[in-house]
Amino acid sequence: MAAGSEVYVLGGYQTDFARNWTKENKHFSALMRESVQGALEVCQIAPEEIQSAHVGNFAAELYCMQGHLGAFFTEVDPAFSGLPTGRHEAACASGSIAILAASAEIEAGRYDLQAVVGIEQMKTVSADVGGSYLGTAAWYELEAKGVEFPFPKLFGKLGDEYDKRFGLKDEHLAEISKINYANAKLNPNAQTRSWYMNKDHALCRTEDNPAVGGRVRIADCSQVTDGAVTIFLASREYAERWARGLGKKLADIPRIKGWGHNTSRLKFADKVAESKNSPYVLPHVRSTITSAMKRAKVADVNGIDGIETHDCFTTSEYMAIDHFGITAPGESWKAVEAGWLEIDGKHPINPSGGLIGAGHPVGATGCRQVLDAALQVTGQAGAYQVEGAKNFQTLNIGGSGTTSVSFVVGID
Amino acid sequence: MTTSKTAAQLRQILASRKLERVVVLGANGTMGYGSAALFTTAVPEVILLARTKAKADEGLAAAIKQVRSPTVALRTKTGDYENDLARAVAGADLIFEALTEDMALKQEIFDKVEAARRPDSIVATVTSGLSINALCEGRSESFRKHFLGLHFFNPPNVIVGTELIAGRDTDPAIVEFIDVFSQIRLGREMVRAFDTPAFAGNRVGFKVMNEVAQLAGEIGPLLADKLVGPYTGRAMTPLATLDLVGWDIHRAIVDNVYANTKDEAHATNKLPDYMAKLMEQGVLGNKSGRGFFKKDGKKRLVLDPATGDYKPEAEIALPELGYIAEVAALHRDGRYKEGMQVFLNAKGEYAKIARKVIAGYVAYAFNRVGEVTESIDGIDRIMGLGFNAAPPSVLVDTIGIQGTVAMIEEAGLAVPAALAETLRTGKPVRFFNHPRINIGRFFVAE
Repeated sequence: MAAGSEVYVLGGYQTDFARNWTKENKHFSALMRESVQGALEVCQIAPEEIQSAHVGNFAAELYCMQGHLGAFFTEVDPAFSGLPTGRHEAACASGSIAILAASAEIEAGRYDLQAVVGIEQMKTVSADVGGSYLGTAAWYELEAKGVEFPFPKLFGKLGDEYDKRFGLKDEHLAEISKINYANAKLNPNAQTRSWYMNKDHALCRTEDNPAVGGRVRIADCSQVTDGAVTIFLASREYAERWARGLGKKLADIPRIKGWGHNTSRLKFADKVAESKNSPYVLPHVRSTITSAMKRAKVADVNGIDGIETHDCFTTSEYMAIDHFGITAPGESWKAVEAGWLEIDGKHPINPSGGLIGAGHPVGATGCRQVLDAALQVTGQAGAYQVEGAKNFQTLNIGGSGTTSVSFVVGID
Repeated sequence: MTTSKTAAQLRQILASRKLERVVVLGANGTMGYGSAALFTTAVPEVILLARTKAKADEGLAAAIKQVRSPTVALRTKTGDYENDLARAVAGADLIFEALTEDMALKQEIFDKVEAARRPDSIVATVTSGLSINALCEGRSESFRKHFLGLHFFNPPNVIVGTELIAGRDTDPAIVEFIDVFSQIRLGREMVRAFDTPAFAGNRVGFKVMNEVAQLAGEIGPLLADKLVGPYTGRAMTPLATLDLVGWDIHRAIVDNVYANTKDEAHATNKLPDYMAKLMEQGVLGNKSGRGFFKKDGKKRLVLDPATGDYKPEAEIALPELGYIAEVAALHRDGRYKEGMQVFLNAKGEYAKIARKVIAGYVAYAFNRVGEVTESIDGIDRIMGLGFNAAPPSVLVDTIGIQGTVAMIEEAGLAVPAALAETLRTGKPVRFFNHPRINIGRFFVAE
């Protein structure tokens, strides 16, 4: 156990985001248990090995009437009795915040092996009640109280801001939706893998694709669901030993090469006002991305083989395209038109299907992105594999671009 | 989707042929319009044909309703066999036949297809009951090389498990292409099945439903359905499923299997006499408003198989079945192995009846390996992703090999060789090897 260690991602397990755990009549504890036990099995790690555990979750108190989530670890396996645990929250970035905290403990030399669970059970309530709960990720009283589906409206405003500054066409947003849904068909754990979608439907302007937030329609939205993802983070020392046990080399194990983390003002209007003189609509998101690249010693997006971004809405992916530096600010549409975002394109985005295709169990998303990044750089992503990927970058956003976290996950 | 091929191999196979125009024959039927809607997610043009254009238009309207998107119309055309088939088929890359399960009817349409199709176009049938080899017997070499069974489950846009059945003469490259196209472009979970009666999924799945229907004749539908309920590893109870599928469809499948196979569980595939009798009175399941169950406002009524009368569920006395609640409580907490141990050890005649059905399912599936699919994996995936039921291998892994064998022996059934071998050698340690398919989803807590 030495301070200053790099942080390795040993692997993990995702529950099927198409599942509705309320319909299965299952408790939050089952969601947690399946993801943790699944990860232990896949990674061939005995529960006794885990030294500390972190849970990322947004709002179990609201959705499940359940708090104190870290303690649920002790229910998963008798070996976890006594384990140091805790829970982290930053709206839809909760999973990434848990990863940051766990990484810091490894870097500080406190622990060698950590479990991080991103988890959210959301199908416990109706869509409008759930929408209102999600509103607490904004400044509830000022932006969400009494508003039906506040978040689509906030991200609709992001689209409006792009339109105002640079111009924005619906067909480019529809293409983003189409790609995410098509990629999701390749992902055995994607929420929408059997949902109906093509570009025509994404452009459909009838009640079958209703507007829910200004220019944002249902096909532009990621959808809430139930899900949990457990990943294991390890120190160099542990990762080396673990790799040897499986007949692998340390060089085969992905590590978190860089991270970025910023918080902007809560209200969307304040963010936009602050960025008035910036080339970027959300400069703090840009800074999160570039600081992760800098720490990873990656010069720019050309050093990144694929991206798992936070497409809670098509407008947020549209924003991510120029904020990652794939195009100049305001020119995201060029990457859409050039086909760069597809799995075999120049800058693949969301080969997993992203939030729109794979689903968005809020607190699980940050962990899902890092797990997918780790699968990609180890060639284990199956049908949605980006050929030869060595570096993948994530972007996880809480609120209306408020908390942003990015990781570069790669092998050397 | 759980392919063993790399993404690059999949893309290469996908790029080996063009598939942009699909003709659906029998487009007014459930499988016809459902499949047509599914194809519009992946190709720019789908032509729906039926006996009359009006019927094809009905199919289109149903397709739009099914997937709730008026944009289906942007990618589809409609027509009839007499005026439009020849031209449509000549321009099609895939001709998808979804007519009524009637050999003569299908042959009549295949005559027309054969006369009009390009020699390189693929012809697929969605049949669930007829033999792929028999359907293309006597056709040209080109037809036979390009002919296969593509068996979607109903509704095709929802259930991803799909069987792919090659005929004796089907070009392996065509089979491979349709397999990969269905996976990548349609998001299907593909299972290669052999050309045997009812193929793999229905052969194994309907055997269980029929056995529970036979049981219902003895102990009543409510108890039978409860005993083989969600806690045993299924999203929907067997008799509720049978009502949903329709008694006529069920009958067609089990009659076909009963008439054309002879296996160790032959008797379990015989349609109960009471069902045949009630069908004469119009009982067909949900589509006729009555089956094993019938809705009366919010109340559920239950059939008395002996009289054909219905009685409110609440008025039917059930024996003590506390073990089911115990299993369900463990499932609710995600403790599936512990839950299945309680099931395994539950006392009383009714738990024993339930174990007999589950043991029969597992044994029947393992005994069909080599007959309906190459390996147990195909049966596992079609049961899991076509029937939403715990795959036999998942049950063995969850119950444990000792427990499984004990259960099969308790039921008085022969232990399949593969399971006996595992009991002896301890290998394989695990039968179900798809770490990315959650097995927990199959164990529903009631």
